[in-house]
Amino acid sequence: MSNYLDRYGRNRSLCHRLPPRLKLLLTLGVVLAGVSIPVKYWPAHGVLMSLVFIGHSVAHVPLSYLARRLAIFMPMVCMLSLSVPISQGFAAGWEIMAAILFRTTLSFVAMLWLVNVMPFDQLLFTLRTLWVPDIIVAMLSFMYRYIFVLWDELDKMRVARRARSFGGVSLWYRWTSAAQLIGMLLIRAMERAERVHGAMCARGWDGVVRTLDDE
Amino acid sequence: MHVPDGLLSTEVCLGAGAISLCAYGYSLHRLKDSLAERTVPMTGMMAALIFAGQMINFPIALFGIPSVSGHLMGGVLAAAVLGPWAGCIAVTLVLVVQCLLFADGGLLALGVNVLNMAVIGSLGGYAVFAFVRRLLGGGARGTLAGGVIAAWLSVIAASALFCLEFSLSHNGGEMFQVRRLFALMVSVHSAIGVGEALITGSVIGFVLAQRPDLLYTADTIDSGRAVPRAGRAVVVGVMCALAVAAFVAPFASGFDDGLVTISKQMDFNKLEQSRALLFADYDQVLPGWQKLSVSLSGIIGALAVLMIAFLLDRSLRLRQRAATATATDVTHE
Repeated sequence: MSNYLDRYGRNRSLCHRLPPRLKLLLTLGVVLAGVSIPVKYWPAHGVLMSLVFIGHSVAHVPLSYLARRLAIFMPMVCMLSLSVPISQGFAAGWEIMAAILFRTTLSFVAMLWLVNVMPFDQLLFTLRTLWVPDIIVAMLSFMYRYIFVLWDELDKMRVARRARSFGGVSLWYRWTSAAQLIGMLLIRAMERAERVHGAMCARGWDGVVRTLDDE
Repeated sequence: MHVPDGLLSTEVCLGAGAISLCAYGYSLHRLKDSLAERTVPMTGMMAALIFAGQMINFPIALFGIPSVSGHLMGGVLAAAVLGPWAGCIAVTLVLVVQCLLFADGGLLALGVNVLNMAVIGSLGGYAVFAFVRRLLGGGARGTLAGGVIAAWLSVIAASALFCLEFSLSHNGGEMFQVRRLFALMVSVHSAIGVGEALITGSVIGFVLAQRPDLLYTADTIDSGRAVPRAGRAVVVGVMCALAVAAFVAPFASGFDDGLVTISKQMDFNKLEQSRALLFADYDQVLPGWQKLSVSLSGIIGALAVLMIAFLLDRSLRLRQRAATATATDVTHE
């Protein structure tokens, strides 16, 4: 799981040393430009795309990672954009489809850059400085902390299930057992949240988060 | 399911963002009133749970392809456990993390995603859930049926809303007809919604059998008295008729007028004429396929959802009976 989240966020490069707010603004700027430039100026999209790719290579994000993410992303976008000509009757809608393909791919790769140069703690700190309410930041950090715990618990339950069944089970059984897995995880998660809340209250929790960088 | 950047125009993204920001701020306000210091651990844990639950694959044996699978979306589930306000916030947190940690869904389009999934899924889903639960008397059966129906409707509502946003974004496009896109999207999503309904219903059924106290109960709902049986049947019948009518009506009449008032640039008369010239035989081969497909998928989906609610209710009662039987055995010993 930790291999999956924040994978290249701890690399050391020029991109990672940029101030966090600047990274957020840069990405937002590229996405905005990509969305608002019309398709007939397609060289501008090409320039933006090559800029984003230069950013990726400066940040040492391997090409294989980009290719893997794009391989998951592209089929969905292709189907979505194809639904325009399909629903409009195969003569119209091709221009909309081209625009969608250009813009979504550019924005997606730009977002991947942001994701890979900004570790989560930095992101939380940036959100605090951007007038996001403290309670939201506290919930986000709580969520980030417990994603890993719940993931481990889920892994344990999956192993236990696999150890008890020999495969070749019916589709219906697999659906109900997956739903029971989520239900069991929900019960355990809520019980854990109650315990954690009790422990937090015992340590003086009053609904306000205090961190060391407050002063 | 997540809307990426570039699919919708900037204005639509900003508009949807403003709406969801209002809904989000109001949810936060309502939540702060009730139990401020309990909110952080409960909502954060629920968000982490939905995040982890979305990684569990539900295999779909469609066309014999083994690798196709779906997953939980969780708006209705979060609302059923935490209540509408905290549920909306939990789903929003999941969307924010998916956007900023996985690049799932766009940065500009975050507002659109929050509107489609958190606001419609949790707030709207909870409204349907509470309504059905109250209708059936607030017991286990009502809770289960409410969850199943709300989950199905939330998926369809999200897809319909997406069509509206999409048509508002691309209304300058020549020959663009929103009702064709609407027909395609809603037909596909009423099938996807059956999957979501099945997952949500099974999870709620499991929690009802194990820890029913975990589910959210507002006082206003449980104090509502049950509608008598005959009245219940009438209400359900009227609701079904209304649902079918709602599916059929836009395609039978009137939808064009409503849409023209929304987007004045679209000139349907001109479009119809030019389309008639170009696609004369296409329309003769498939007359009104979109009306038929949407109505059919709506009816089939509604029947499937009622079936799921019925079956899950039966299995829940069996399980509860078994639980009480073992409990009495223990006390006898």
